[in-house]
Amino acid sequence: MLLQGSPIGDALSADWIFPTAECFHISAFALSIGTIALVDLRMMGMGLRRYSAAQMIGDTEPWTLLGLLIVVFSGLVLFASQPRIYYPNPALRFKIAALVVAILYNFTIHRKLALSDVSLMTSRLAAGVSMLLWLSVVSGGLFIAFV
Amino acid sequence: MSLFPLFHWLQSTEFFAALSGSQLVYPIVMTVHLACIAVFGGMILMTDLRLLGLAFTNYPAAEFVGSLRTGKRIGFCIMVAAGLLLAGSKAETYYGNPYFWAKLTLLALVAVHAVVFRPRVYAKLAELDRAGVMSAEAKVAAYISLVLWIGILCMGRLIAYYEPPRSPF
Repeated sequence: MLLQGSPIGDALSADWIFPTAECFHISAFALSIGTIALVDLRMMGMGLRRYSAAQMIGDTEPWTLLGLLIVVFSGLVLFASQPRIYYPNPALRFKIAALVVAILYNFTIHRKLALSDVSLMTSRLAAGVSMLLWLSVVSGGLFIAFV
Repeated sequence: MSLFPLFHWLQSTEFFAALSGSQLVYPIVMTVHLACIAVFGGMILMTDLRLLGLAFTNYPAAEFVGSLRTGKRIGFCIMVAAGLLLAGSKAETYYGNPYFWAKLTLLALVAVHAVVFRPRVYAKLAELDRAGVMSAEAKVAAYISLVLWIGILCMGRLIAYYEPPRSPF
């Protein structure tokens, strides 16, 4: 709210900033959710089977974190360009709520189960929940433009 | 010959008119397109990073690429199918949109990339694994792939920001 009309808000509403931030947002989105999806697929018994889910976490986590950092930062830039329009948007609120849950889930329950020796059933369930959570973040983001 | 009549016809077919008019189906097709970008795009990014020696360095490259091949192919097909639905329902506006054509050009270059680098790099990964070091060619292939795919993602986003010049009438 404070951002709109402030020098920062004005700077962020320049014509080229929004599309540029969108480019970073989508590329980093492919990196962050893509790496998480690779772990999920492995937990479901698919994909890079030479590695255990625990090894997958070790190799993907730095990239997931880098992707999340860029995706959240560029998302804030997008938001700050027109906070008065975005703030009341129900799809955006849903997306942020889903994002918070997805991130918390990813670095607690999901991570713990991937690192420990659990049954395939549990592993699949954990991966399925992860995929659903990230899917709701993505669809929430899309619906921002449609509600 | 101009392709415009074709694009105009495509958009006005009952099928695409219904699709673009739907408040629910259109965003859902878009979600499918984006979900594929995450899963399938993530696989491409990680393959490139593997060839560059930046990720999964202890995982044999040949096996890495082999294990993801089916997933990439399925993802690519769904992504293209959803993309065609999205483009078809806005064919007329897309026709005049330079970012749309830039995206298609980059996709065509992806095919060229495959033709050029498959025999030189991707079919020889087992040899490179045995040598213990990725060839310069493999790294070039990975860099070009990264540039092409990130370019495709960006052009896809920018399609939404192009404003056609106003008609003088």
